[in-house]
Amino acid sequence: MSRTPIQHPGQVRRAVTAVGSRTLEAAAAAAELGTVAAQATSGAVFGYWRGKRPRGGIARQMYYVGNRSLLFVLVTLGFVGMVMVYQTCLLTTKVVDGRNQVGAQWIRLLVLDVGPSLTAMMLATRVGAGIAAEIGSMKVTEQLDALRMSGVTPVRYLIVPRFLACVVMTVVLTMFGVASSWAAGGLTGYYSFQINPRIFFDLSMVAPAHVVVGVIKAAAFGAAIPIVSGFCGLRARGSSEGVGAATTAAVIGSSFAVIVLDLVISFVAMTAFGAG
Amino acid sequence: MEALAIELVGVGKRFGARTVLAGVDLRVPRGGRLGVIGPATAGKSVLLKIIAGLHHPEAGLVRVAGRIGMLFQNCALFDFLNVADNVAFPLVHEGGVPDHEIAARVTARLRAVGLAGSEHKLPAELSGGMKKRVGLARATVASPDVVLYDEPTAGLDPVTTAKIYQLLCADHDASGGTAVVVSSDVEAVAAFADTIAFVDSGGVRWVGPAAELCDADDDVVRGFARGTP
Repeated sequence: MSRTPIQHPGQVRRAVTAVGSRTLEAAAAAAELGTVAAQATSGAVFGYWRGKRPRGGIARQMYYVGNRSLLFVLVTLGFVGMVMVYQTCLLTTKVVDGRNQVGAQWIRLLVLDVGPSLTAMMLATRVGAGIAAEIGSMKVTEQLDALRMSGVTPVRYLIVPRFLACVVMTVVLTMFGVASSWAAGGLTGYYSFQINPRIFFDLSMVAPAHVVVGVIKAAAFGAAIPIVSGFCGLRARGSSEGVGAATTAAVIGSSFAVIVLDLVISFVAMTAFGAG
Repeated sequence: MEALAIELVGVGKRFGARTVLAGVDLRVPRGGRLGVIGPATAGKSVLLKIIAGLHHPEAGLVRVAGRIGMLFQNCALFDFLNVADNVAFPLVHEGGVPDHEIAARVTARLRAVGLAGSEHKLPAELSGGMKKRVGLARATVASPDVVLYDEPTAGLDPVTTAKIYQLLCADHDASGGTAVVVSSDVEAVAAFADTIAFVDSGGVRWVGPAAELCDADDDVVRGFARGTP
């Protein structure tokens, strides 16, 4: 077996330099993301309530994140509920007739995992993209520099209200999404497989710990979306092309953050409380 | 010794592998008006942002005496705020200024720039010249000691350009503050400033009185000022 010899020593140096440069860039980006997360969290807990802040800032963001996403979340989770219940009923009918267990298991899965994560994924696409586009366009039109010239920190002024609104409204939207998905699943079970609604809508499998873990997940996902999206917006470069790239990065980054957080919280909940 | 409002010593700035400024020395006395000219991508706006504290230089020293206001090249008006709120923004976030005083100062500034009655308009409803005037009002509403103007007349017609420079002159005659103007409009900036700095290839190539710009001892500077290649 022959190997292609390295033609020029310069090639190796360039390759090492490129890898090193990318690594340093990634490390710098990670540090910047950490700084944004720390500033947003501390700003939400301590700083936002001191001094002047944008009038109606949080209420406006809650309306945008919550009210404007409600239909989107209800419809999406409703359809997911219909499909999941239909497919599960088909499978259980083929193996062993366990259709009567589908409703109780589905609400447990919804509360614990599917509800928060699917709601957050929907918000990552709708809200995350909006945050990145808004902050990114402010960046490329020097509005963030104008904020700094007035002694205002962009993270505190722009990301903290979105952070607070997202944390609250992701929890609220998750509740609506779970209800929608459960109800749609119940209707599918009744009309397609004649499952008695009184059997389907059975909450006996849902423990308080499941609800706590679900709420923690929803809040964590709600915190991650504006942090990741805001970070992508703050790093926008150039003009509209840069804003487009930041928006794409925000959707990918937020969705990825939701999946990673879901895994981490599920693991911790499972090992600590047996409620993963 | 003359009191300095701005002092730059050996300032250097790089973006990645590209060196934008290297070893820039510049001094602006208190109350002085400095015009910064030079070819495109010479680093003029970067120099202004370093003075403003928006970019951190990798090398050198920057000293600015007092508070700074800045008019941005793209005006940088907050598109979610109306004209009055845009102008009031530095005062609102400065803290300690009562609301009635903020309102009075905003009204006075808008009247001074000829925009009385436009308080409730959004930036999207304004023309280019009006946006510049709102930016000008916002840059000066907090009575800064140093005002930085980045291309204050870029993209404006000659009549509006003349009006903007009239406003700048009136403002600085009244306040006696220090001004630094970056502009591609050599004639207008030379008429406004008392000193001109020619920035080229990351350094200050020539500094001298504005009146001597067209007769500078440097061929490149003289050619640039006269518009001859």
